[in-house]
Amino acid sequence: MPELTKDQKLALYRGLVRARKYDELNVRMASEGKLLTFYHSAQGHEAIGVGACSVLRKDDYVYMHIRGHGVPYAIGKGIDPKNCVAEHLGKATGWGGGITGVHMVDKENGVLGVGGTIGSCFVLSAGYALAAKKRGKGQVCVCFTGDGGMQRGQAHEAMNMAASWKLPVVWVVENNLMAWFTPFCDTSAVKDIAQVAKAYDMPGVIVDGMDVFAVREAVEKAVKRARKGEGPSLIECKTYRFRSHSEGRPDACHNKLRPQEEIEKWKERDPVKLCRERLLEEGVLTVELMDGIEREYAVEMEEAEKFALESPYPDPSRLPEIVYAP
Amino acid sequence: MKTLNYWQAISEAFAEEMERDETVFIIGENVQESPFMITKGLVERFGPERVMDAPLSELANAGATVGAACAGYRPICDLTFADFIYCAADEVLLKAAQQYFAHNGQVNAPCVFVGVAGGGFGTGPEHSHVPSAMILNNPGLKLVLPSTPYDAKGLMKAAIRDNNPVCYFFHKKLMGLTGEIPEEEYVIPLGQADIKRKGSDVTVVATLYMVHHALTAAEKLKDEISVEVIDPRSLEPLDMDTILESVKKTNRVVIVDEDTERCGVAAELGQQIMEQAFDYLDAPVRRVCSRNMPVAGAAMEKYTIPNADQVISAIRSMVE
Repeated sequence: MPELTKDQKLALYRGLVRARKYDELNVRMASEGKLLTFYHSAQGHEAIGVGACSVLRKDDYVYMHIRGHGVPYAIGKGIDPKNCVAEHLGKATGWGGGITGVHMVDKENGVLGVGGTIGSCFVLSAGYALAAKKRGKGQVCVCFTGDGGMQRGQAHEAMNMAASWKLPVVWVVENNLMAWFTPFCDTSAVKDIAQVAKAYDMPGVIVDGMDVFAVREAVEKAVKRARKGEGPSLIECKTYRFRSHSEGRPDACHNKLRPQEEIEKWKERDPVKLCRERLLEEGVLTVELMDGIEREYAVEMEEAEKFALESPYPDPSRLPEIVYAP
Repeated sequence: MKTLNYWQAISEAFAEEMERDETVFIIGENVQESPFMITKGLVERFGPERVMDAPLSELANAGATVGAACAGYRPICDLTFADFIYCAADEVLLKAAQQYFAHNGQVNAPCVFVGVAGGGFGTGPEHSHVPSAMILNNPGLKLVLPSTPYDAKGLMKAAIRDNNPVCYFFHKKLMGLTGEIPEEEYVIPLGQADIKRKGSDVTVVATLYMVHHALTAAEKLKDEISVEVIDPRSLEPLDMDTILESVKKTNRVVIVDEDTERCGVAAELGQQIMEQAFDYLDAPVRRVCSRNMPVAGAAMEKYTIPNADQVISAIRSMVE
């Protein structure tokens, strides 16, 4: 892979900071009781969505993961987080018109909505990829899920189909070692999800999910392969969830709080911090620039919150109109 | 006019729509060598890219159907047996049904889920059910139940062109039924009931093979009771007006449904009739449905699904 340009590196850093600021905003609003729905923090996971989506075309499809309710993925595709904030406040200016509070959609940017049931992403993504293959314009679909999602039958049935038919899909599994409040090792005989790829005769790679550059490189390779018609790949990103499964719930497993030392240890490899340190060292980032980026996105999130708070609620008379398409 | 049988009518609808619209394709288990004939000959004509033999995986097939539909295609998913729709519940009941609503009308899933339904061949539980009520309990899905070759073709063409997910269940016992089909193209809009036989004493509402039990009953009773047989043809959308008009004329109604009686289609229709035409009823609405048990197989099947004699008894009991 050619060395990234300074602008590409900065764009990755910007994406990470923006996703983190967005997440912090949601965490705060959840604690203030402003959200009309639940929120699943992505803190710790940002490098995966930001890195992976940085190599995609506007017309590529993304099936977003639950973490951050899609924002780390979607900002890489060009969406505006303010519509996501508005959706969580149930406002008409939200990505989904405030109808469901969490189900986002942005067709222009290849986000055809998201699912609520974990694992369903696999089979629908196979369908997006099937459409992409039929259309023949080199589009790909990148499907994000967690380690819990891998345990659904859909994962295996979709991988079998996609591998048999060489569908242009990249499965990106964010293995954060926890499915809700159950440790991955309690419910999986294998340590590495990537080895599942062998069963379907497709590439399976393990990536440091805290390193945005590593994620980008692995996804770029898989996307190129998919665009060439060589079929799917499975990328396992080793990562960690810094906060609880969903806001307001104790961050526990086995009916005990997760050990704080473990969380702190992983935070030493915080994806935003890792990227920042690297770019400072390379001289791509300066302290002034870093502060400027922080301020820029802090302001953006303040404005997003204001925008969402001031937006109107949807008109409930619309509800019957959207059960069936005309 | 030409004479086609039921499966040929469905197959002809597929072929015509695939010819007309290149985004239409068929995906399913053994669709190139269709066990129920409905896709017979299509692979030779349209190739394996549009008549896709899929894994024995209803989840993957239905999920790929919904995904491709969201991404701009009009797939037809052959689930083989209608019962197998349960295997793909997430994809059909949550994803297909709710896609449009959950995403504020911005993404829709125009696709058709096809399956052979009903009893008659002793195939037992898991292969003999007509899962209508389950579909109707999930708004966002449409439901088509054709009882004749003419209806089968015209309704399939409408289902493929519809911008929503449509469940289209055809019936095992109707496969060889022949009927006249116009030479020229025709489409039967969903939500238009058909009066299969005119009558003035009792209205019988029935779908799929039950229409034929109703017609048999009407014929046998013709010298004593004048029976009107209404086939709604699609239960979502539902042409309630035609049913109510008939009830207002006959004042008596029997609903025949091959789905389970408990919480079934007949209960729903009966309740709607009571709410909208109570003053016209001379007798309580009667139901003839599959019994509240799984559909039995082999020799026991006939004790679990409705037959024409039960329809005759129900009609007689209305006028006694």
